Amino acid sequence: MKPFEFHRAINSDDVFKHISTTSKYIAGGTNLLDLMKKHIHEPNTIIDLNSALSNTIEQKNDGIFLGAMTTNTKVTENTIVNKNFPLVSKAILAGASPQIRNMATTSGNLLQRTRCPYFYDTNIPCNKRKSNSGCGALNGHQRMAGIVGTSQNCVAVHPSDFCVALAALDAEVFITKTDSTTEKIPFKDFHRLPENNPEKDNNLSDNAIITGVFIPNNNFGNTVSYVKIRERDSYAFALVSVAAALEIKDDKIKKVRLASGGVAHKPWRWFEAEKFLKNKKASRDNFIKAAELIVSKTKPLPNNTFKVTLLKGAVETALMQCLTNTSNG
Amino acid sequence: MFEILKNKGRIEGIAKVTGKAKYSAEYALPNLAHGVIVGSTIPSGFITNINIEEAKQVPGVIDVLSYWNKPEVSTFDNPEKSKKIPAFHKYFHTTKINYSDQPVALVLADTLEDASYAATLLKIDYKTEDFNVNFHESLKDLELKPFKAERGNLEAWQNADYISENEYTIAMEVHNPMEMHATIAHWTAENKLSLYDKSQGVNGVQWNLGRFFDLPEENITVNSEFVGGGFGSGLMTWFNTVAASLGAKLIERPVKVGLTRPQMFTMVGYRPTSWQKVKIGANKDEKLLGVLHHAAHNQSKYNVYSRDLSGITSKVYAFENVKRFTGYSPLNLPIPTWMRGPGDSSGTFAVESAIDELCYKMNADPVDIRLNNIAPYSMDSGKPWSTHYLNECLERGAKEIGWDDRPNQPKQLKDGDWYTGYGVGVGLWNASRRNAGASIEMKRDGNIIVRTAMTDIGTGTGQAIVNMTHEFLGIPREKISIELGNSIHPKSVTQGGSWGLSSLSGAVDAASTALKRKLADYAWGKSEVTKLDAVILSDSGVAFINDQKKSVSYQDIFQKYNLNEIYVEEYSNAGGEEEKYAFCSSAAHFYKVKVNVVTGKVKMDRMVIVVDGGKIINPQAAANQIIGAAVGGVGMAMREKQEVDLASGRLIGSDFAGYHVTVNADVPIIEVSFINKPDYNRNPAGAKGLGEVGLLGSAPAITNAIYNAIGKRFTNLPVTPDMIV
Ligand SMILES: Cc1cc2nc3c(=O)[nH]c(=O)nc-3n(C[C@H](O)[C@H](O)[C@H](O)COP(=O)(O)OP(=O)(O)OC[C@H]3O[C@@H](n4cnc5c(N)ncnc54)[C@H](O)[C@@H]3O)c2cc1C
Ligand code: SF4
Repeated sequence: MKPFEFHRAINSDDVFKHISTTSKYIAGGTNLLDLMKKHIHEPNTIIDLNSALSNTIEQKNDGIFLGAMTTNTKVTENTIVNKNFPLVSKAILAGASPQIRNMATTSGNLLQRTRCPYFYDTNIPCNKRKSNSGCGALNGHQRMAGIVGTSQNCVAVHPSDFCVALAALDAEVFITKTDSTTEKIPFKDFHRLPENNPEKDNNLSDNAIITGVFIPNNNFGNTVSYVKIRERDSYAFALVSVAAALEIKDDKIKKVRLASGGVAHKPWRWFEAEKFLKNKKASRDNFIKAAELIVSKTKPLPNNTFKVTLLKGAVETALMQCLTNTSNG
Repeated sequence: MFEILKNKGRIEGIAKVTGKAKYSAEYALPNLAHGVIVGSTIPSGFITNINIEEAKQVPGVIDVLSYWNKPEVSTFDNPEKSKKIPAFHKYFHTTKINYSDQPVALVLADTLEDASYAATLLKIDYKTEDFNVNFHESLKDLELKPFKAERGNLEAWQNADYISENEYTIAMEVHNPMEMHATIAHWTAENKLSLYDKSQGVNGVQWNLGRFFDLPEENITVNSEFVGGGFGSGLMTWFNTVAASLGAKLIERPVKVGLTRPQMFTMVGYRPTSWQKVKIGANKDEKLLGVLHHAAHNQSKYNVYSRDLSGITSKVYAFENVKRFTGYSPLNLPIPTWMRGPGDSSGTFAVESAIDELCYKMNADPVDIRLNNIAPYSMDSGKPWSTHYLNECLERGAKEIGWDDRPNQPKQLKDGDWYTGYGVGVGLWNASRRNAGASIEMKRDGNIIVRTAMTDIGTGTGQAIVNMTHEFLGIPREKISIELGNSIHPKSVTQGGSWGLSSLSGAVDAASTALKRKLADYAWGKSEVTKLDAVILSDSGVAFINDQKKSVSYQDIFQKYNLNEIYVEEYSNAGGEEEKYAFCSSAAHFYKVKVNVVTGKVKMDRMVIVVDGGKIINPQAAANQIIGAAVGGVGMAMREKQEVDLASGRLIGSDFAGYHVTVNADVPIIEVSFINKPDYNRNPAGAKGLGEVGLLGSAPAITNAIYNAIGKRFTNLPVTPDMIV
């Protein structure tokens, strides 16, 4: 990789002191180092955030706050997370490998880059890597590509599992900008669709830092499930995944959340299907109808139509699993 | 008889798990420089220029080796000699590019970091040409040629009661042993080359480099003491070895060249993409009558590998009629090579699937039909099998998996969205034996060192030598040490093809006998003892069985003859037994799968494998071989597929994240057992090789089980979740 300078920042002011157009932040490094080795990012300066940002998990009255530097493993081992937000642990544990999760952080997971194979080969055109260079995947292999919200410029998907759960649970991303002002972005608006500028994965402004993620309380309890269809049982990204959460009262669905990974440039919420299920009976029939509604909204590419069938099965299975999970726990 | 060595581990085990074992890339030579190979970005054409100016600005960069400044090698002045060098050793002697990532330069620097960075700064100009990387398209124009003589004829079974016919494809599978290939090359004198090289056969590397540099073999030493997995990737001498040697010559410093993981995908071979068509027929009595087998696989334009996938078709079953056609498509792809169960594992997938398909048509039991049709003798050679226990493997395996619970028709065992199915597949491999050498050196205290050039590629060869030597001589294991994987030791065949142990046992036996002879002569007078079988060596001296009186201590012998050590060296090879017998190892794979028809998930529920590998020298190592191979079979069936981008001709997703090797989470505890009956016709240890049979038959056992579960016949591997739903 290209030689670089390394700064271990001690607080956010210190972070911003070292930024430039060629600097990059590092958290766990599990994505950034790969990107550097493959010459996709070639920063001159690396700013280590580990000592500058929180790595604690705080329970609040209205939810839970995950510091940006909490590792994925730490989140899955937290008792409050497991009690009140089991969907989060399920999603994280469905991803990567224990070694990677030990290093990977909350903020790094949000900002990891796509796994489109063409993005990783600098000898093949890719608009996300280099604006207006073309898109290798558009007429190529599309197993890892999207089926909703793709554009002619990019058909890549966001690869995270964790983020699918966060999208489902209406989390918020806490941000500090370079002028030291802060903002909160609702999770569903944090990542973006490729449209005409796929080089931008999300709506974070230049060099802003994520300080943490807040997840509001919910009444889903254990009636949640994360189904991930992938080519091996560990250490593989999703072909499609579904996070489902149900709140059932008097045999009726009071509240429902459905989100997917592996289908779009951002973790994707299925709002219409949620609306359809609301106040209906939690039955397989209704789940199948919801799944059908979901897939009717997809627009697969020529070489990944199979994802539609898989998605349908995953939605159905996830919703059914919510019910068995409740009875189990 | 060999005692069962439960939990005794391996002689090199501690060194490996404590990091003391040194692999080729780990030798620290003074003044070592690092070389990074740069590959072409185009799949076809010519390099027209390499601009190295920017790369040379990087501090620590020493030079950039390429076509334009390669050191003089006398071989190339002699057209006859030059012709003999394979094209894939001549990448720095040509500007022609035949595949993407073909090595075009070696950047040499003081550190790996400097070399890697500078490697990104080369400016290479190409003149591109048309290319073809599409195997399945290429089949259209491919003319298949008859393979081997026809047995019987096609007409004989054209009216068979039952016939099934299908086409089969298997995706390109790449080599990914844990240790990546690496070489350190060091010219210790003008004409003397010392290599540390990841390889399955040091003598092969010695020979290849000798040919390249026009040097006698003794001028080249090759060390591969520890090898982190081979699976066939280390059978050839690849370009990293040549490049390091040329680099070291150019800059007159030792040079290390290690491949990166993505380079492993293009520079050390792979199992090529294949296509097959198999038609088989049987009569009402469940007798298999005939088989017609068409097969083809891709090659590289640097066409050095061809393997007939249908070789196995005439071996396992008693087909009286066998007709085969074969072909190869040279494409603009890297060079394929042997990969565990080369050829036969692909052919076996097709044949074992076809038999399964036939069973459903004729309502036959897949185990019975196999049992009833095993070739009673080698129908290729006409010779009797020396030993062959495939029937016992099948019988035992069926019992262990609970074959009686298998429904005769698919879709019978259902639990929610999950269906359960059972499948069987068998594997068979020639149990061959080749030339091998071993020496034994005994010291005054009775400690011995056994040496051989053969490598231990994770197969447990080292411990096997200890076990065999102990068995042959009687010396306690603690007093036996080994040195292997180095060309300074007695020459041996490359480790591979399941012949390593079989070959080596002959050499160790011969050396042991020679040592007994010497000691007996010293102890009791020359040729006094004729029955060497009765001589045994203890920890302190040499004795005659049942006659303790005659025992003489090593101390006395060494003293009396004023010796420092006793040294014997012997070589052995297959002999007259090959005139009389045919030899094979075999295995039966019985798998139980659960298939979710909604999510497409296939869960391996049980894997029972019963193996005939002759006498088992080290049960742990043997089981380890079978387990690893079977996991490879699971990969072939359900995951491994290297994609090629048709637009650029490049491999895509070629790393461990993109290419899915099967992991522990994907397999259950694999249940392996051995027939464990010796074949003393094969070699003095009675062991037949078993490196390949764990993989052969594994993939079809899975697809057959999936069929039994859900009634879908999969003929294109790998079977991924999208294909299930
Ligand atoms: C082989 C493999 C398999 C994987 N499989 C999965 C999977 O199945 N599912 C899944 O979800 N993930 C998977 N991952 C991805 C893994 O989860 C991510 O790599 C990880 O979450 C990234 O976190 P990190 O802390 O290491 O990020 P880094 O690599 O340190 O950083 C990633 C990016 O985020 C930026 N960044 C980090 N923190 C901040 C911050 N606080 N503010 C602003 N910018 C910041 C960095 O500048 C960088 O650009 C896999 C990774 C690998 C290598
Ligand atoms: S899909 Fe997006 S990431 Fe992939 S090649 Fe096209 S532009 Fe690049």
